[in-house]
Amino acid sequence: MRTAKGNLSPYLYLIPSLVFLVAFTYYPIFSSVYISLHEWNLFTREPVFIGLENYAILFGDTLFWRVARNTLVYVVGTIPLTMVMALVMAILLNERLGWMRNVYRVAAFYPTMIPMAAAAMLWVWLLNPGIGLINHYLMQLGLPRIEWLYNMDWALPAIMLTAIWKNFGYFMLIYLAGLQNMPGELYEAADLEGANFFQKVRHITLPLLAPTTVFVVVVGIITSFNVFDLVHLMTQGGPGNRTNVIVYYIYQNAFRFSDYGMGSALTVVFVVMILIVILVLMRFLERRTHYEV
Amino acid sequence: MRSKPPTTLASALHRIGLNKLLLHMILIVVSTVTAAPYFWALSTSLKLRRDVFTPVPQWIPSNPTFQNYLDLFYMAPFGLFLLNTIIVVSGILIVQLVTAPLAAYVFSRLRFPGSGFLFGLFLVQMMMPIHAVVVPNYLTMNALGLLDTRLAMMLPFWASGYAVFLLRQAFRQVPRDFEDAAVIDGCSGLRFLWHVLLPLAKPTVIAFSLISVVTHWNDFLWPLIVTDSPAVRTLTIGLAMFVQQESGADWPVLMAGTVFVTLPLLVLFLVYQRRFIESFMFAGLKG
Amino acid sequence: MLNGRRLRNLVRSLLVVVAVVGLLASQASAQGERLVRLTFYYPVGVAGPLARVVDGMVQEFNAEHPFIEVVPVYSGDYDPTMMKVQTAVRGGNPPDIAVVEISEFPSLLAMDAIVPLDDYIAQHPGYIEAFFPAFLDNSQFEGQIWGIPFQRSTPVLYWNKAAFAEVGLDPESPPTTWAELADYAQRLTVRSGTEVSRWGVTISGGWNDWLFEAFVRQSGGQLIDFHGREIKFNSPEAVEALGFWVELMQGLKVGPPHSTWASTPPDFVAGRTAMLYHSTGIMTFLKSSADFPFGAAFMPANETYGAAVGGGNFFIFEGIPQENKDAAWTFIHWITSPEKASYWSAASGYVAVRADAYELAEMQDLVTEHPEYLVARDQLAYGHGKMMAPAYQRVREILKSALDDAQAGLVSPQVALDRAQEEMERTLRSWIQGR
Repeated sequence: MRTAKGNLSPYLYLIPSLVFLVAFTYYPIFSSVYISLHEWNLFTREPVFIGLENYAILFGDTLFWRVARNTLVYVVGTIPLTMVMALVMAILLNERLGWMRNVYRVAAFYPTMIPMAAAAMLWVWLLNPGIGLINHYLMQLGLPRIEWLYNMDWALPAIMLTAIWKNFGYFMLIYLAGLQNMPGELYEAADLEGANFFQKVRHITLPLLAPTTVFVVVVGIITSFNVFDLVHLMTQGGPGNRTNVIVYYIYQNAFRFSDYGMGSALTVVFVVMILIVILVLMRFLERRTHYEV
Repeated sequence: MRSKPPTTLASALHRIGLNKLLLHMILIVVSTVTAAPYFWALSTSLKLRRDVFTPVPQWIPSNPTFQNYLDLFYMAPFGLFLLNTIIVVSGILIVQLVTAPLAAYVFSRLRFPGSGFLFGLFLVQMMMPIHAVVVPNYLTMNALGLLDTRLAMMLPFWASGYAVFLLRQAFRQVPRDFEDAAVIDGCSGLRFLWHVLLPLAKPTVIAFSLISVVTHWNDFLWPLIVTDSPAVRTLTIGLAMFVQQESGADWPVLMAGTVFVTLPLLVLFLVYQRRFIESFMFAGLKG
Repeated sequence: MLNGRRLRNLVRSLLVVVAVVGLLASQASAQGERLVRLTFYYPVGVAGPLARVVDGMVQEFNAEHPFIEVVPVYSGDYDPTMMKVQTAVRGGNPPDIAVVEISEFPSLLAMDAIVPLDDYIAQHPGYIEAFFPAFLDNSQFEGQIWGIPFQRSTPVLYWNKAAFAEVGLDPESPPTTWAELADYAQRLTVRSGTEVSRWGVTISGGWNDWLFEAFVRQSGGQLIDFHGREIKFNSPEAVEALGFWVELMQGLKVGPPHSTWASTPPDFVAGRTAMLYHSTGIMTFLKSSADFPFGAAFMPANETYGAAVGGGNFFIFEGIPQENKDAAWTFIHWITSPEKASYWSAASGYVAVRADAYELAEMQDLVTEHPEYLVARDQLAYGHGKMMAPAYQRVREILKSALDDAQAGLVSPQVALDRAQEEMERTLRSWIQGR
């Protein structure tokens, strides 16, 4: 690296990006905080300062806690399952499989290529209680027919299922990339020691994949906290707000109820929620990686 | 790049008396399960409405028809939606490929006061949940008078921390000697970037481009909020509105719409499988 | 290099010429004809290619009126349409005309978004009197009229005649009281173990708040007294109505506790439910999809027959030039003429908004062949305006949550409605106090 001299100042190179960064990422954060301290809805033409009152209403609202709970259930439910599926598939796909490998990879990965909106429609159709495929095969297996998206207990799991189907291929690829960079010597050494397949996976593969896992978990968390498309198209937050998640709730408040003040307050809470979760997780994962390696 | 551990899964299974056949069987089952939803949608899209209500699901339609696709275009301008999507996605990518290399260049090869902090700004943007800033950004667009335009759908994405991150990595791989030689030849700054760095970073540029296209093809919440009229509507929003319009009454046409919305990217994907898969894998690697 | 430069200069000059010509051309059309261009947001609340029908009517209007151009913008269902209107108005970009769900009227008033229409109405004696009175309930405030009915409906009870015959009920006699409804539903429900393959009666979710209002009316009660600014969510009539629902869904288990507005018509067609409460607007869809005979009837009575009307009204917006407002009125007046109202009703299945439309050819033909289309109109005798309040989107959510929870058996009707009442009083505090 050399220090800048002559030519254009480096800051000039950065200006195009910084203009948009500030305008659409950083200014909005401050703007959200600012607006959240005001009452600005259908009845107040101009924002009226009310301090922390939006937050007081927010935290006192049972619906908010339900939304928070739904979101956490969704995140905690989808990530481990997605990860495990992705990891297992990656390990399987890493074997010598000939040309069929491409077929399996395409089959696992193509859901990532289609919009969430399309995935939502596919699954709404599959989950149709009357003529959907899922219920049809469930009944063939002798299991009871489930009302899926209309059932208060099953709607959120149904959405989670769709999300896992959609995302696991992407994480599988990331794990595959990690696996293909494994140093061969460690495995050879383990072979000499007489380790079997499962022992090698447990003591070499998994620990070495730890950084990849951290990446997968962090990206997974951010993606799942952002879930909106599926909820909007599959259940609109229902039935009975059992699938209302934080981004959908922000959308409802800001755009359906036209309450920008509350929408901003919810946004601030949302960002803080994610930051806390990520920080906690990184602390946790960092400690574990240290031990294993 | 194919240094992988020895195929001991096969030998492990062999020990239990099974073999590679089992491995393939598992993978076939999984692949069938993941591919099934799409084929079912495809099948439904080719059926007549009354054939959809059969008690036993027919995977191959007994009276296949393309009528649903024709009805689809009659009911909503999906061709226009496709065009809009292409315009928006291209518009985003083109500007990203201008702003990001510029920034990546200075971060990769120069040291200057505040570079650490500024780079941090880009990194944080990568982690920022995009949906967290929709409300203020909407108000900004409103103030700028840009609501209901394709421009509004593009603007927030013109700075990409992710692109800067990837390109910086790629640029750093270019050895000092190249640069010293180039400077001597009178090629520095922007010209160096354009004539030397970018061509050398081509795989990264392609990888990022594919990721950007796929990501923004699938944008939903932001276009939903900032656009109204069919004239600028994109495919995903078109599908959502079409769903409302048809309100679940006409599944074959709905499935035709769903298939149509996914077709362009899927076709590209199938043709350029390798490229796509390598791009996404590669992106993960650097993470 | 010389060639390149020449070429570039040529292109540059061409661009300038094109730009100038374009500018002049647009100026010409702006000054020459004074074409008034109107943005018209409209929703479609029922299945069917109605967007095309509306577009067709608009094109006809534009052809007949060379100085007005209405630009129709289909904006989804009622909720998304209101969202668009809200954000457009707040952003300072109101549409010129919009069809908005009738319960949103107070919100539009609160936003000072719309203009009163009395001056326009006075220009056409006999015009406003031709509309069905029940449809005008949601247009009036403080002695002025603010909206004109366009696509209006009431809920009706659909029944599957073949299923009736199957279980020994007279296929031509639908239930007329709540007691009969419960009884018939029990006979019609087909169960095997805990699996229900056919429900007796489905009270459609999605707009179950609208259906609930009808049941409350059937008990002689009312959910919101708009002009008196009173909320009565937990009145005895409301609790009785919800109690009846819970009895059907949880007690007798003859109806599904949850569904969506869009899923229930296909369910009826597929024979998964023998009776269905839904809008008269799906009549055309049912006729074209069902392969069994079915009928439409008044919703069964409790103390009385009762219905709340539904649908959308035309509104003209504030903040647009006077000539736009005048042109908007021309459009509205044209499209609510007897001929157009008749055409629209026949094409869509909505109730024609004025009685004289039924005397015209299209409607005569339709109702002679399909008398079911008259049911909703006749039910208007027992019809009331739809409940409305400011911030109606939130009101809907509060009510629907209460209904959904009670329908699922999670809370008793009394508790659900008490909670809803409390929340409503909190949310609409300033309105109730008269501010």
